[in-house]
Amino acid sequence: MNKFTTTLGLATAALWGTVAQAADDVTLQLKWVTQAQFAGYYVAQDQGFYEEEGLNVTIKPGGPDIAPAQVIAGGGADVVLDWMPSALASREKGLPLVNIAQPFKSSGMMLTCRKDAGIESPEDFRGKTLGVWFFGNEYPFLSWMSQLGIPTEGGEDGVTVLKQGFNVDPILQGQAACVSTMTYNEYWQIIDAGLTPEDLVVFKYEDQGVATLEDGMYVLEDNLNDPAFVDKMTRFVRASMKGWKWAEENPDDAAMIVLDNDATGAQTEEHQKRMMGEIAKLTAGSNGALDPADFQRTVDSLLSGGSDPVITADPGAAAWTHAITDAALN
Amino acid sequence: MGWLIAGLAIWALGWALNTYLAAGPKTRVTRLAVPVIFGVTVILIWECVVRGLEIAPVLLPPPSMIATRFAASTHILWQDFVQTAIKGALTGYILGCGAAFLTAIAVDRFPFLQRGLLPVGNFVAALPIIGMAPILVMWFGFDWQSKAAVVVVMVFFPMLVNTVQGLQDTDAMQRDLMRTYAAGYWKTLLKLRLPAAMPFIFNGLKIATTLALIGAIVAEFFGSPIQGMGFRISTSVGQLAMDLVWAEIVVAALAGSGFYGAVALAEKAMTFWHPSQRGRT
Repeated sequence: MNKFTTTLGLATAALWGTVAQAADDVTLQLKWVTQAQFAGYYVAQDQGFYEEEGLNVTIKPGGPDIAPAQVIAGGGADVVLDWMPSALASREKGLPLVNIAQPFKSSGMMLTCRKDAGIESPEDFRGKTLGVWFFGNEYPFLSWMSQLGIPTEGGEDGVTVLKQGFNVDPILQGQAACVSTMTYNEYWQIIDAGLTPEDLVVFKYEDQGVATLEDGMYVLEDNLNDPAFVDKMTRFVRASMKGWKWAEENPDDAAMIVLDNDATGAQTEEHQKRMMGEIAKLTAGSNGALDPADFQRTVDSLLSGGSDPVITADPGAAAWTHAITDAALN
Repeated sequence: MGWLIAGLAIWALGWALNTYLAAGPKTRVTRLAVPVIFGVTVILIWECVVRGLEIAPVLLPPPSMIATRFAASTHILWQDFVQTAIKGALTGYILGCGAAFLTAIAVDRFPFLQRGLLPVGNFVAALPIIGMAPILVMWFGFDWQSKAAVVVVMVFFPMLVNTVQGLQDTDAMQRDLMRTYAAGYWKTLLKLRLPAAMPFIFNGLKIATTLALIGAIVAEFFGSPIQGMGFRISTSVGQLAMDLVWAEIVVAALAGSGFYGAVALAEKAMTFWHPSQRGRT
């Protein structure tokens, strides 16, 4: 009997071991609500890429009141998507986030202005009201304004900054001359609301030289000392990038997969297909590995914040690693 | 570990001290000291637990960190206080309570208003602030005016209902006495019914103080200029500046208590004759 129990126990343990190995749990916290911006992850889930790598991935949608950095600090996720300015600012505040992969090569952030507000170039911003997103998304704007030498305190020479909710109402109602938009989302909300591209002037942050890296994958630095965690993340990044490339090639199918995963039912097919088309432009050219030159450009732009810089010191190479992507992609 | 033991020791000490004081004779000093000792103990235990368990500051900063941040950011905090508490909450409070008071007199004078308006008032009072705030922000713009409008909506009906209730707080004998003095409606109102309504009016005013501050802060979550307590709280969370969030919470708590206290003091001075105020030292 005793022997039988031992055997049974060993067998169970062995079985348990394989099961555990077959499905490592990974929780991913998205930066925003379920939409085509995160198509790669939903595709990898839907097409079984995560399963092939032996991962059981939970994708947690974000929202206007969710800060990914805080979720990971509280242990609610293994890996989060965040914008680099906000991740580096969190790093300075004592939460050691490390970029392990960067599926987005280009930035989709723009400032969209009405022509009838009299704006043709950035110099025309003076004396106007501009809508800006906060909650960690204001850093690219602040560093752009400080490079232009435009104060953000209001007045004749400066701009009045308005904390924009996560919609485009201020520009539609004329409360602001410009609002923040993403190429793949809010810009089209303005168009859908009845303004035409001819009515609008757009300033892409990328063209202004202040583009920052969006939607990178970040983990906590301490976890990277654990080989099991590194292995898990390697498989996660490999599967996610496979998902991204699949999404780039099959944008319409990817949009439908995203729609299937939208529990709120708030997204529409037309909007998601259009968004996926725009997203594919931003992920094109990235194999997942962070380009150190892009990192340095982001850091330089954040450090140039004048009297109120976003970060006070260059975080250096500790803030990113190629260890995961090298292992995943080769 | 040392911090946790210190926390336990402080807890025991605070408890013992308060038990001793509570058992002793009640004087002005002890009545003030007991809650103060309790509050200080809570803060010290908080500090010890956060340090002892090494809780990340982005989850819960220790009070010493909040105090440091408070001292270093008085400029920002003051600016936010002026924007939210003075411009938004206080303006809305005065407008809302003033309008409600005048409406209550009108309701009292014309019974048809009382039957028609009060049910509508209760309906509007039940509207959730998060539904109203975005609409009012659209109507009145992003600056403090829309916040004041939210506050007006929030304080108007509690104040109205209380004042109307208060104006009915005289009995037939008292009103008959006024009539035998040949006093008309207005004279009766001024000399008898308004003074009798004072406890109710102050009750409405006190309820409105806390509502006003909450309304002004929450309304700032739905679009605001880049100052104000609600703005700072909602954006600093995203920047993981939890010490600043807590500093704003301290300011909100101080402002709220101060405001309430001021109205309570005014009540004490004006309704000293009322049974609820008599016999207090």
